[in-house]
Amino acid sequence: METMDIKLLSMLIVYGLLAIPVALSFFFRLGNLKEIVIAVLRMTGQLAVMGFYLDFMFRLQNAWINFGWVLLMIAIANFSVNKNAGLKTRHFFAVLFAGLTIGSFSVLAVFVFLAVRPVPFYNARYLIPISGMIIGNCMRANVISLERFYSSIRKNEKEFMTYLLMGATLREATLPYLREAIKPALAPTIATMATLGLVSLPGMMTGQILGGSSPLVAIKYQIAVMIAIFSGIIVSCVINIFFSMRIAFNEYQVLKRELFRGK
Amino acid sequence: MVRFDRVTVRYDGKAIIEDVSFEIALRDKVVFYGKSGSGKTTILTTILGAHIPVEGTVYFDGEALNAINILRVRRSVSYIGQEPVLGAEKILDAILLPFTFKVNRDKAPKEDRIVELLERLHLSRDILNKDASVVSGGEKQRVAIVRELLQNKEIFLVDELTSALDRESKGAVLDLFRDSSYTLVSVSHDPEWYGICNRFLQVDGGRLVRSSDHPDKTYL
Repeated sequence: METMDIKLLSMLIVYGLLAIPVALSFFFRLGNLKEIVIAVLRMTGQLAVMGFYLDFMFRLQNAWINFGWVLLMIAIANFSVNKNAGLKTRHFFAVLFAGLTIGSFSVLAVFVFLAVRPVPFYNARYLIPISGMIIGNCMRANVISLERFYSSIRKNEKEFMTYLLMGATLREATLPYLREAIKPALAPTIATMATLGLVSLPGMMTGQILGGSSPLVAIKYQIAVMIAIFSGIIVSCVINIFFSMRIAFNEYQVLKRELFRGK
Repeated sequence: MVRFDRVTVRYDGKAIIEDVSFEIALRDKVVFYGKSGSGKTTILTTILGAHIPVEGTVYFDGEALNAINILRVRRSVSYIGQEPVLGAEKILDAILLPFTFKVNRDKAPKEDRIVELLERLHLSRDILNKDASVVSGGEKQRVAIVRELLQNKEIFLVDELTSALDRESKGAVLDLFRDSSYTLVSVSHDPEWYGICNRFLQVDGGRLVRSSDHPDKTYL
């Protein structure tokens, strides 16, 4: 079954729906009219570019371009992780790029190459959207885990030093902060998995059903994607904490505060 | 045992200690004294690698401190800060904390030994079941001392150890460290503490200005 296209006129009618939030914003003087307009324009522009680009990639089916695109997504995600976790990008970019790549590719390899097995294996129709979901979720989780990890060490520096001075290795001394950091990074995904299908139909599944897939196929994809995302998150968070520790501490295992934004 | 050779430590470009040289032998009982903020605590913690000197070298047992031997140094020296961090919710867990680390795991003390040391420092056995958040500053200091003693180390780096102690507890702590087998490197403003020390190093503005077998009389 083909997905029914939305005609240009119909799209305009959908945009017409925006009159409601705009009117309400105006009526209640919410003061966010400009933000609404900018957000809608950005969404339209970004997705239009993405639509044309994906269409081009799907037709081209070039392994280099497809994998290059995945690496570019990882690089962009990495900038966001560095910035939002309070790390200075020029010091941490390389190690976190390695961590995000290993975390994403390890689960991507199982999901795409062993479970779905598209032909060719670098088929952009599968590789790009699935990578996007995994990388996007890893990015959000890594922001939380890295920010929590280093901010709790900075906040509890005396406690951390006490562990070291009692003879703990760096790994032993940082273990309480690693636990504190990983748990909140995983919590949203665990909560999503636990309520999936009860509270809402996930976007990917909805998209597949609208695209003509059988709901039974759609749920298999959704389960596989959730497991891949969850595994990717934990792998990338743990790897990135361990990789970044090599940069963040000096040879005496003391935190280098100068490598953090707003130290 | 410890030697500073023209050591300078900076933080944010500002010198905290500058051109500091001294030597401490095994079983010395040394106290660094001087005004607050003069760099005494930084000297103490630099011995343990909490700061890397921008100039000069710190030696421990004749070996320059480096990334490899720092772990050994930390494992052979006890450090008790001015406001010790207990690092656990219950006092018993705080006392056993060092024994959760791999290096000490097979050296966990028996309860009798813990109680014996607690009593020596005028603390009752009941404190073991208390929450760390409800004990006083003085009790915290004594619990930290017990925890360090249980590790059977003989070199103690202590910072204002008697600052929160009442007269009776202070007497017990002083008696304990008067023991000649311990090497003591301390920071203190307390004239009673000076009574158990035999070397007095005065620090002013990050520099060592006086080394003697008695403190400057203005600090008594």
